[in-house]
Amino acid sequence: MELYEFAWLVPLIPCICFVLAGFIGHKTPQCGGLIAIAGAAAAFVMAALVSYGYYTSDLYKAAEPFVQNMDWLVVGKITIQFGIYIDTLSCIMMLFASFISTLIFIYSLGYMHDQEGRRRRYFAEVSLFLTGMLGLAVSSNYLEMFVFWEIMGLCSYLLIGFWSFNHEEAVEKSSAAKKAFLVTRLGDVCLMCGLFILLYIFGSLDYQNIFGSIEAHKDDVLLPFAILLMFGGVIGKSAQFPLHDWLPDAMAGPTTVSALIHAATMVKAGIYLVARSYPIFTQCEEAMVFVAAIGGFTAIYAASMALNNMNIKRVLAYSTLSQLGYMVLALGAGAYLISLGTKNGDANLIKLGTAGYIAGILHMINHAFFKALLFLGSGSVIHAVGTEDMRMMGGLRKKMPITAYTMLIGCFSIAGIPIFSGFWSKDLVLEAAFAPFHEGLGFGSVFCVLFVLGMITAFMTAFYMFRMWFMTFTGEPRGHCHGESPKTMTFPLLILSVFAILSGLVIMGNFGYYVARSLKTSMPTAGIFVEKGMDVVKEIFTTPATYVALVLAIVGIAIAFFMYSKKAYDPEKFDQDKKPLYYRIVAKRYYFPEMYNQISWKLGYGVAKGVEAIDKQLIDGTVNGLSNAVVGGGDGLARVETGYVRDYAAYVALGVLILMGIFAVIFIYGGGF
Amino acid sequence: MFESLADKVLDLTGEVAYIIPQAIIIVAALLAPLLYFLTKNGKIPAIVSFILAVGAACVCLGYMHTKTYGTAFGLFEFNAFSGLMMCLFLAVAGLTIFVSPVHSETTKHQGEYYALIMAATAGMMFAVASNSLIGIFVSVELVSITSYATVALKKNDPRASEAAVKYLLIGAFSTALTLYGMSMIYGALGTITLSELGYRFSEVGVNWVVLMGSVALIAGYGFKIAAVPFHSWAPDVYEGASTPVSGFLATASKKMGFAVLFKIFFALFIFAQAIQYQPIQYIFAIIAAITMTVGNMVAISQTNIKRMLAYSSIAQAGYIAIALAVMSQYAVTGAIFHMFTHVVMKGGAFVIVAALITAGLGENISDYKGLAKRAPLVAAAMMLCLFSLAGIPPLAGFTSKFVLFSSAIYVNGEVVTEWLWLILIAVLNSAMSLYYYARVVKTMYIEEGESTEKLVISKVFMVAIALCVIGIIVLGVYPQPLLRLCRTAAIALLGF
Repeated sequence: MELYEFAWLVPLIPCICFVLAGFIGHKTPQCGGLIAIAGAAAAFVMAALVSYGYYTSDLYKAAEPFVQNMDWLVVGKITIQFGIYIDTLSCIMMLFASFISTLIFIYSLGYMHDQEGRRRRYFAEVSLFLTGMLGLAVSSNYLEMFVFWEIMGLCSYLLIGFWSFNHEEAVEKSSAAKKAFLVTRLGDVCLMCGLFILLYIFGSLDYQNIFGSIEAHKDDVLLPFAILLMFGGVIGKSAQFPLHDWLPDAMAGPTTVSALIHAATMVKAGIYLVARSYPIFTQCEEAMVFVAAIGGFTAIYAASMALNNMNIKRVLAYSTLSQLGYMVLALGAGAYLISLGTKNGDANLIKLGTAGYIAGILHMINHAFFKALLFLGSGSVIHAVGTEDMRMMGGLRKKMPITAYTMLIGCFSIAGIPIFSGFWSKDLVLEAAFAPFHEGLGFGSVFCVLFVLGMITAFMTAFYMFRMWFMTFTGEPRGHCHGESPKTMTFPLLILSVFAILSGLVIMGNFGYYVARSLKTSMPTAGIFVEKGMDVVKEIFTTPATYVALVLAIVGIAIAFFMYSKKAYDPEKFDQDKKPLYYRIVAKRYYFPEMYNQISWKLGYGVAKGVEAIDKQLIDGTVNGLSNAVVGGGDGLARVETGYVRDYAAYVALGVLILMGIFAVIFIYGGGF
Repeated sequence: MFESLADKVLDLTGEVAYIIPQAIIIVAALLAPLLYFLTKNGKIPAIVSFILAVGAACVCLGYMHTKTYGTAFGLFEFNAFSGLMMCLFLAVAGLTIFVSPVHSETTKHQGEYYALIMAATAGMMFAVASNSLIGIFVSVELVSITSYATVALKKNDPRASEAAVKYLLIGAFSTALTLYGMSMIYGALGTITLSELGYRFSEVGVNWVVLMGSVALIAGYGFKIAAVPFHSWAPDVYEGASTPVSGFLATASKKMGFAVLFKIFFALFIFAQAIQYQPIQYIFAIIAAITMTVGNMVAISQTNIKRMLAYSSIAQAGYIAIALAVMSQYAVTGAIFHMFTHVVMKGGAFVIVAALITAGLGENISDYKGLAKRAPLVAAAMMLCLFSLAGIPPLAGFTSKFVLFSSAIYVNGEVVTEWLWLILIAVLNSAMSLYYYARVVKTMYIEEGESTEKLVISKVFMVAIALCVIGIIVLGVYPQPLLRLCRTAAIALLGF
């Protein structure tokens, strides 16, 4: 038995913990907290063993995945299986999801300590959440992945609505949960439709079968639709424009849940889906331009909304949106390059595309670390001051130094300052976006625009992150503060800050090669990446774009410093009555939430009411004569409160007449049967 | 061991053996009032009926296990399909009887109540076993007439009497249509035996009279399955009837309607494989699409939970009707499987509503505010039932919907585009349905109720709810054994 054959244990352990914490949690120490932590830690250890086993196996050397299946649904000729699919990508997903979750669960002990009995529900639900993510990472087919995908959606609904009891803003919080659920569901419907089309094209939903037979079906007319619909699922789950709006609202949940959703699970599922489906996605380069464009646009659009927000968690939420946009941009550009490279047999393009793929994955990992750090840091701040409004904070650096400096590391990392992890991956992302223009390919101008947008986003990111840091931790204290958070909360911060500094340095090792292996397992033609780590580093430091991005980031930090720390220019000027138009639009989130409300309520409910009205009344006026003729005798009995029997009978009669009419038309005009 | 036992039964009783399950239920129907008049205790007939229903189900399962298939008197056939459907009806009847004694809406007329439920169950069992049009007609009438009476039995509520009258009137209308359709088919084809219908039809060829007869039959049995536009009685009746009866009608009676439609239309158009008549498939596809859309849309604006569940079961009927359109073995497998999952999820939801009414809660969705605090386990079970109905994995509703929807892509082992539009409508519908299910969950979990007092739920209800929840999870995670049975049933029904 090899170690990786036990990969099914990875999602199973947190699942068992979910049952244990749910049923007997209140009888255990910390209301199930220790069970959840032990489960996540055990899952991490297991994931590490599985990854090690796979890495040292012959399968890895031969670039083959490890697959193990059992039948789940067998109907006639269709077999849907339930199983595990282990390659480098799933190893990476398992490792960082379980590791970060472990730290977040430890942190929850301190953060949720005043919740008493309700912690049982909390720890049970987060364990199930982790099960969803780990299950998604090891799934061997799309349907199984969809099952775990939905489990996560359900858990996010329950967790975002966690505060809904006994909370002054209960109604708002609960509608945020519902919004998250329904908006991501809209994406899920697209995904489900996409999967049905995939099933139709390939006759299977199994990764191996689909990736193996992609050549035979690459010209199928429906394939682009399948790709776009699947990407619709990604838009919903990873909160890309225009289904992005649930993520900022999802801040209504406990901060630890936000950290879990943003860093370790949920939104990363969409990115994972794109990466996993590379063999399919690369069959249609036009769709990939669309993917990259959505990513690039989301990056700058979300960053613009973070510029003037006063809520510390919302700033972080918008930055997640923006960073997710980067990942989608890199993956889309990479797929575009690989697609053209395979078509023209150009090895250089495939190599550049693979670099884009690696950039997306690396940014996902780095983002997981620094975003978890930032969210947990903000949780620590909220815990101490009891508000999320940054105008009520200030000068906290002296009172809570650990939180302040670990968050500073997170800010440096996300802003892309060299050595910190965000620098490496952000640079690779921008390089990938620039490559199609540089190589003079079709749609080059689109990618050039996306590259510029990415640059501007880099500037904005540096500005709003440091605006947040300066407003919170420097200047005059503006409110009451409990002091530094307990050790259970600062310990995870310290660990995460080490990773936020160092995780980007993996690029100096052979990280690129490991990731490219996963692409090679599913696409033998792609996934060539032979450069040594140091060559990548050298390339980064010899490209002018790197220095431009760096200068922009430093300028962003400097502006934030002068505005919010030195008060050289008073930001309060924006807050006067005569707010500039742009400021107001951004503060209203580009009127998106209102549009959603209008659409969902006015249209959805209106249509529903309309159908009911037709259902109840339309017949009343139009076919009264008919109904009288049919059941005229029943008048005396028929008058009732909820509806007229004769109308109901008229429905039946009308139905019969319509059906007969259809047949008559076919009979007379069709002629042939 | 089972084989030798089955042989013994066959030796002893001859072909009567094939109607033993029905006979047991008829005995129960006769015993129930007798026992009630002797003891004046409503629990006794309930217990006896329940035990006999379980016994009958065991007989069915035993026959299916030993493959003891055959026909009694040339009229009632026991095969894999009718056996499986009988198990479904008995399961629903068992669940209904199990919770009725502790349910507050149950009438004083306990003897008659159990007799009527049992008689209706026997009628359903005969209907799925019949192999002639007349047998089907008479059995379905047995179900209809007893159903009108069970609805009317809740005498203290004017809504119930109203609903019963409406049910009766529309039912009579539908019966007339059915009989009319059957007589047209008999007139055109000269036979009422299902197995001969197809051959005669292929000899005679498609003609006007058979098609009109089919339309009348679709309308007549469309009433039973509550397909739009023959659905309008359903919300009134489900709302008016006592809740276990609503559950019984929504899960069992509707499934019988489907079984009968499957039997008749597959016999006409598929069984002989002589005629592939496309327009009839399209008509069913259109009915399916309209039924699910209207059901889901109207459900959104409902405020009464029973009415909402009624519209949701109209929508579910639309999903099952996909099998009537696709007419393939895979689709029928999916449809039968969905009927079973529908029993656990919809039956579970109705049992929960019944339990809450007994505990003193109202029928309006707004009465469920803060339920998660007052009765946490029941609220969690309700959430699972509703999410399963909405098709959230890994619950039963997702698995069965997936099989059902994907069946429209694979027809007889080949991939077709013909029904892709129908699946897209179905997927959109099931997404839309989430809206009103999630609303109930939100009301239970998130909105603050006026009272925070704990509700006392009877143990009997808790057992029934637990059984449904276990069913929802098991059928979702490990559907294979039941799916295999469904497939065998589909083969028995279609003949290939």
